[in-house]
Amino acid sequence: MPVIEVDHLQKRYGEKIAVDDVSFTVEQGEIFGVLGPNGAGKTTTVECVQGLRRADGGTIRVLGLDPIRDRTEVRQRVGAQLQESQLPDKVKVWEALDLYRSFYRNRADIDELLTDLGLAEQRNTYFQKLSGGQKQRLSVALALVGRPEVAILDELTTGLDPQGRRDTWDLVERIRDRGVTVVLVTHFMEEAQRLCDRLAIIDKGRVVAIDSPAGLLNRVGTEHRVHFRPVEPVEDALLLAAPDVTGVSRDGDEVTVTGSADVLQSVMSVLNGRGIHYTALRVEQPTLDDAFVSLTGRGSRTAAQSPTDGRSS
Amino acid sequence: MSALSKLIAVETKLFLREPVSLFFVFALPIGLMLVFGLPQRAGTAADTGQHAEQTFLPSLALALTIGMLALFTLPMALGIYRERRVLRRLATTPVRPGLLLVAQVVVNLVMGVLGAVVTAIAVRFLLDQPAPANVPGFVLAFLLGVACLFAVGLLIAALAPSARAAQSIGPALFFPLLFLAGAWLPRDRMPAAVAAIADYSPLGATVDTLGAAWAGANPELPQLVALAVTAVVGSVAATRFFRWE
Repeated sequence: MPVIEVDHLQKRYGEKIAVDDVSFTVEQGEIFGVLGPNGAGKTTTVECVQGLRRADGGTIRVLGLDPIRDRTEVRQRVGAQLQESQLPDKVKVWEALDLYRSFYRNRADIDELLTDLGLAEQRNTYFQKLSGGQKQRLSVALALVGRPEVAILDELTTGLDPQGRRDTWDLVERIRDRGVTVVLVTHFMEEAQRLCDRLAIIDKGRVVAIDSPAGLLNRVGTEHRVHFRPVEPVEDALLLAAPDVTGVSRDGDEVTVTGSADVLQSVMSVLNGRGIHYTALRVEQPTLDDAFVSLTGRGSRTAAQSPTDGRSS
Repeated sequence: MSALSKLIAVETKLFLREPVSLFFVFALPIGLMLVFGLPQRAGTAADTGQHAEQTFLPSLALALTIGMLALFTLPMALGIYRERRVLRRLATTPVRPGLLLVAQVVVNLVMGVLGAVVTAIAVRFLLDQPAPANVPGFVLAFLLGVACLFAVGLLIAALAPSARAAQSIGPALFFPLLFLAGAWLPRDRMPAAVAAIADYSPLGATVDTLGAAWAGANPELPQLVALAVTAVVGSVAATRFFRWE
């Protein structure tokens, strides 16, 4: 049985339609991404799942329960980390955890949780003295303190530096390894590509696609690119003759070969077979950014915000 | 421990960690009384045109304590909780966010009572004035005054669009109320119409009923009713208009 079922969800704020038609299911133990640009209806969707908002249409089941009618039971079993949620300045880390722990039936061990989230040394630190990453981890800890079966994490890494973001990604994987089903709301394509087992791309209140990251990339069929600088001359025809290669272009010394997922192997076997030396080899894989653009017909906000260090590997 | 008692415990700690609110509750009222009360005690009160009744100043100090908690501390704290989405965050847990409001009110009430006790003791020993003579009347006036002012504070918290706004609305309302209570100009020197309003204004009625009981008389019934009505209307409106986010 799916952990979360959303069926033709609709939500309006007055005249404005925030969620037009969203359906998806989340399976036990997976990291499910809800991805889309700001204002796409992601947060509204998960707020309906949490029972914070009443849907105008469609049905939602969480652990087989109705999030509005069975709200207390759903909240016992679903932990949530909200976008831009803060705590009072002068509450200590352990006090906040101890307080939130008292709200739940199943209570996590605070010291264990603090160690797990790398906050053991901040146990007695005031909230206002925490770094951005530490605040974010505390917020996640609060979502886990009731030993939830499902954790909903909204814009977890917004505002974190690249290192903080990577640490947080490791954390999300550890949460999943504990057996918690994770719903991850994000507008960072890189984050979704790295973490999610499956994801729903939402745009303008509708689901554009649901698939695994690899499946989405295949679906849009974006090409892989291999860039290198040959030391000895290499003819285009030689490369074009190799399997998986669809195109060759040159920019000064640099040769760019485009093709399907195995294009790197083809290029390598041509170069090695002919004994052609090369420098500055790099591979550019298609990213979810490309998939997103192709699925929605426009760019996501990520391109402008996040460093594109995921593109070459 | 239950969620509510934990909330109260944490809110108490947070209150005690804010030097400003501690100063409002425990230091400022006593300080004001010493500044204005000692000259009065020296017998210069009548000459400077200050209030003649001995119980006016201590009653005003008590009303000040409650008023500052109700109109400054409480709406500010609730405004911050809303702005920082603490209330929203609580809504995702099995606990209802209203419980945090209850905890806030409880903590401010307890601090108000403690502040009143400290002030009353200071009056008794520092100014060498008698303790309240009509104890039941005094307790009744105190409770109704607290209920009335806290209801006004909750209404500010409900209507203020932001914590910053709450921070300005509190004082903007507090000082006129303090004027109506006769802090600067004795009410018998105010125009009749203003004085009539002042008698039934939250701080004015609180000061009068406390003062009457302090001196051993019975508080005026219409003033007690005015406090009770304001308390009920304010609370109902606050509940009606409170926004969680």
